[in-house]
Amino acid sequence: MITDNLGLAHQLARRFLHRGEPLEDLVQVASVALVKSVDRFDPDRGVDFAAFATRTIIGELKRHFRDKGWAVRASRRVQELYLELGHATSTLVQQLGRSPTVAELAQMTGSSEEAVLEAIEAGQGYRAASIDASENEDDPLSARMGERDARFDSVEERALLAPALARLPAREQSILRMRFVQGLTQSEIAVTIGVSQMHVSRLLAASLNELRQHIGNDPSD
Amino acid sequence: MNEEGDLAGTDTLGDGDCVVLTFPARGDLVVLARLVASAISTRVGFDIEELEDLRLAVGELCLLALSGSDARHGDLQLEFTVSPEALDISCTLGGAAPATASQSNDGDEAAELSEQILAALVDEHGSEQEDGAVRAWLRKRRKGPLP
Repeated sequence: MITDNLGLAHQLARRFLHRGEPLEDLVQVASVALVKSVDRFDPDRGVDFAAFATRTIIGELKRHFRDKGWAVRASRRVQELYLELGHATSTLVQQLGRSPTVAELAQMTGSSEEAVLEAIEAGQGYRAASIDASENEDDPLSARMGERDARFDSVEERALLAPALARLPAREQSILRMRFVQGLTQSEIAVTIGVSQMHVSRLLAASLNELRQHIGNDPSD
Repeated sequence: MNEEGDLAGTDTLGDGDCVVLTFPARGDLVVLARLVASAISTRVGFDIEELEDLRLAVGELCLLALSGSDARHGDLQLEFTVSPEALDISCTLGGAAPATASQSNDGDEAAELSEQILAALVDEHGSEQEDGAVRAWLRKRRKGPLP
């Protein structure tokens, strides 16, 4: 029974491969779980062995991750990759003279494209949370923001956005001015203020969202 | 603010919200389903273990919908619906021709494994024939109210 179902153990182990554990370890956990399944299986209950074994093996694989503190490590790994992507983007912008693709970022960070996209997605939440916290004087983002540009006052008045713009941190205001008044590209802004293009993109998106909220426009309009 | 909190999306999906994703029924595009499942899981307040379970489950759901059909010309449509109790996901394959006999046999085996995996990962699941297409669905219950 064990030999017949080793293929099943292997297939199930492969399903958990993207969580960062070596396949050999997962196959070992799944194989041990298969042996346990045989020990615990009661044919009189009328349950198919493969179904019973699948449930047991997946349960053991999940316990393996839980016991290794995987959730905390995974959460950290996403944050680390997100930060790594910022550095990788800056480097690639310099090297390529253009914004890198996801495939290029994946190659540079040694991750899959899916992991890069996941980290960007998770990073959006991280970024938004940080913006909410930026009213705090101790916030490190505020500390890194540039000085307010005097010429910006006339722009905001013309745009009838003064109250909404005034609520944005100084650096975000500068970035909006560079993008929409001076017409700089995101990569050019990134070089100017010393952050990654991806970071500029996120700051712009968040700032525009905030402006839309303050002037009552639905972003989907 | 803790690390977990930093990563949680600030936007949430609430009762009755529905997200629909349609893409060509190709194995290499199932990544789209997993990415959307991740984004939605975060926004309905699932923890990272539940999120990973759902990513895996959504992949199996796609395989289940593809089973028994020659999907080379079809589209997969996923529907994510949020209710106070659960996240419901359905996956329907449209526009595909029926499978050949050998494809059908292979599909049956794959579908059986997918069903067993779903049984271990989600609270409820099932599949049914609907207008000649397979509609596979799952339900993952939420532990509490929206974050």
